[in-house]
Amino acid sequence: MINIIIDGKKIEVEKGTTILEAAKKLNIIIPALCDREVVKAYGACRLCVVDVNDGNEIKMVTSCNYLINKEIEVFMQSERVRKTRKMLLEMMLSRWPNVPMIKQFAAEYGVIKPRMIHPLVDYSENACILCGLCVNACSEMVWEDIIGFAGRGENRRVVMPFEKHYEACIGCSTCANICPTGAIYMTDIPNKPADEKRIDKFGMKITEEMTLMDDEQCDMRGVGTAHLTQIMNDYDLLPTTNYRFGSHKEAGKLHSDVFKAKFTQGLPDGCWLGCTMSCAKSIDNYELKSGPYKGQKVLVDGPEYETVAGCGANLGIFNPEFVIEANFYCDTYGIDTISFATGLAFVMECFENGILDKEKTGDLELNFGNEEAAMEILHQMGRGDGFGIIVGQGIRRMKKIFTEKNDLTDEQIQFMQDIGMEAKGLEYSEYVTKESLAMQGGYGLALKGAQHDEAWLIFMDMVNNQIPTFADKAEALHYFPMFRTWFGLMGLCKLPWNDVEPADNAENDEPAKIPGHVEGYVNFFSAMTGKEIDKHELIRQSERVYNFQRVFNFRLGYGNRESDRIPYRSAGPVTNEEYESRAERYDKQLIEKWNYDIEGKTSKEKRDFLRKMREEDYQKLCDAVYNRRGWDDNGVPTIEKMREIGMDLPEVVEVLKRA
Amino acid sequence: MKKQILVNDNLIEWQENLTINKILKIMNYSFKMLVIKVDGELIKKDEYGTKIVSENADVKIIHLISGG
Ligand code: SF4
Ligand code: SF4
Ligand code: FES
Repeated sequence: MINIIIDGKKIEVEKGTTILEAAKKLNIIIPALCDREVVKAYGACRLCVVDVNDGNEIKMVTSCNYLINKEIEVFMQSERVRKTRKMLLEMMLSRWPNVPMIKQFAAEYGVIKPRMIHPLVDYSENACILCGLCVNACSEMVWEDIIGFAGRGENRRVVMPFEKHYEACIGCSTCANICPTGAIYMTDIPNKPADEKRIDKFGMKITEEMTLMDDEQCDMRGVGTAHLTQIMNDYDLLPTTNYRFGSHKEAGKLHSDVFKAKFTQGLPDGCWLGCTMSCAKSIDNYELKSGPYKGQKVLVDGPEYETVAGCGANLGIFNPEFVIEANFYCDTYGIDTISFATGLAFVMECFENGILDKEKTGDLELNFGNEEAAMEILHQMGRGDGFGIIVGQGIRRMKKIFTEKNDLTDEQIQFMQDIGMEAKGLEYSEYVTKESLAMQGGYGLALKGAQHDEAWLIFMDMVNNQIPTFADKAEALHYFPMFRTWFGLMGLCKLPWNDVEPADNAENDEPAKIPGHVEGYVNFFSAMTGKEIDKHELIRQSERVYNFQRVFNFRLGYGNRESDRIPYRSAGPVTNEEYESRAERYDKQLIEKWNYDIEGKTSKEKRDFLRKMREEDYQKLCDAVYNRRGWDDNGVPTIEKMREIGMDLPEVVEVLKRA
Repeated sequence: MKKQILVNDNLIEWQENLTINKILKIMNYSFKMLVIKVDGELIKKDEYGTKIVSENADVKIIHLISGG
């Protein structure tokens, strides 16, 4: 920390603070045309000049880009400083006499009418004052370099390359939004929103947050969702070898730094024009080691967290190259990386437990960690031959096929039910849910099957202990699925909601909901459609669709308690090995939560008791959630609920009468 | 009796000069989007290294959600 004096007032600042920032802290305000927190200060307008005494001499500097690194005394309003500002403002006013901002600053310095007329005078209210904010915003906030300055001195002007319209401009409007005079504006506004300005405001808020805070928060621009791998490993949530464990000593090999070094593309328009979260990443010139394109150099889109965790840790393969290759071939064959990974993890555990053998797999040794065999299965799935035909049908069908064909004992059949990580026929995405009951519900109660995108509650539940009771968990399993469904209804990506957060988010009552962004989405809807809604109506909109979908599922024989079942692996340890690897945790819970006397008990006895308790808890959770959502005991929406949300259409009521 | 603090309702041993950063290390909390309160009082990010947590404190380290 450094002590400085500004206009006689003492203040302590961190090294590297600018004089202008320090002055703002003391509420000393001076005209600063080209200074904005979100872009670097280049000292373009020079209006922010001040006198600085550094012990040797007094010199005039621009305060917006003068970094304090020793004790100094600053004079913000010395006579020569005021004179300089006045002179600059008079010149500006003579060139841009009608720009409101210039007129106002000039008036503050007593300049109402300049004494001369500038040869390049521009009478427009929206004249470009050459502040450079647009140029810097395009390059620093949006990561494009579309506009720049051309010419020197009086000829200086903002242009696109060769002063022609440049196709590469993504039309994000950031330059227009930051321009203080309106010199840049959008001429072609797609979708004809009712109130464009209100939408811009929310867009700029996210863009500013990304610019200022992403580096410290999620580094979405740097690595995308792959930043989660090491975090999940630290919290024992990274699935390894078919969700048996939540961390692994070799997980560092899949650290996001490893992928960051390989990413060659992190363009702002990676998946959506103008999105400044730009989490989509790609790897250029990856040389394939297998399959029909072996030896060719290709572009790989990704990998993202789910692919790294699934095709890496969950298969016991800690090789980033394998992950990249699997990513490429899944995309090329049109196979989902999550279903491939989770399905194959199930196969590998079956193989290691004698449910499958080499005869049944077509001679492939499908042990965890066997990269070659794993890749061969992927190619077989793509070609539609060999054992890949069976794996490609997914876990639910595999369980049936193995039961019918493989002459299994009852115990083996039960084991498959326990470790086959699917719900409603969809493979689990890549999080270990054993220690979070709410998250088990997040997967099990999701309408489409085992996907975390309705509700990701592990931190709230397991780490924060924020939702201890069944009612708390049920509330979270009502609110978040409804809120997140809304993104689907609107065709919006949900990542800007919670992969960057406002600086003041912590000061809210309910930070987990990111209220500052919820408000933004409410504004977005209202401004887009011209129909004012509030945050409750937003949830209502989702509830209508969500309940309708549940009724639809019910009509097809699902959408009930039976279809909300989850495999036991997602609720607790299936094997002794799993129990013993986290024995301290489980023993503690048996004693503290259920008063169970563990003295002299074998791992199997303890495991069985734990299972009974956890399975009962899951059913109790379903009770609480059904109740909160307005469903009956079997998990079917009631006719009253459908009436309440205005969805009691005759066809719907007809179906529900059968419940 | 050992001196303790509560971190997200878990009893943790207290030690001299216990800062927020130290607690994060002890708990192996590597996630960045946190809201931290000590006895109900919000602790700002720039205080994580300096704020000393006293014994018997009730520390809440709220992890926000991110990802997929
Ligand atoms: S619209 Fe976006 S990409 Fe185009 S010049 Fe402006 S800031 Fe750059
Ligand atoms: S167009 Fe606007 S933002 Fe860009 S230099 Fe001119 S006044 Fe500044
Ligand atoms: S604000 Fe410092 S030079 Fe413009």
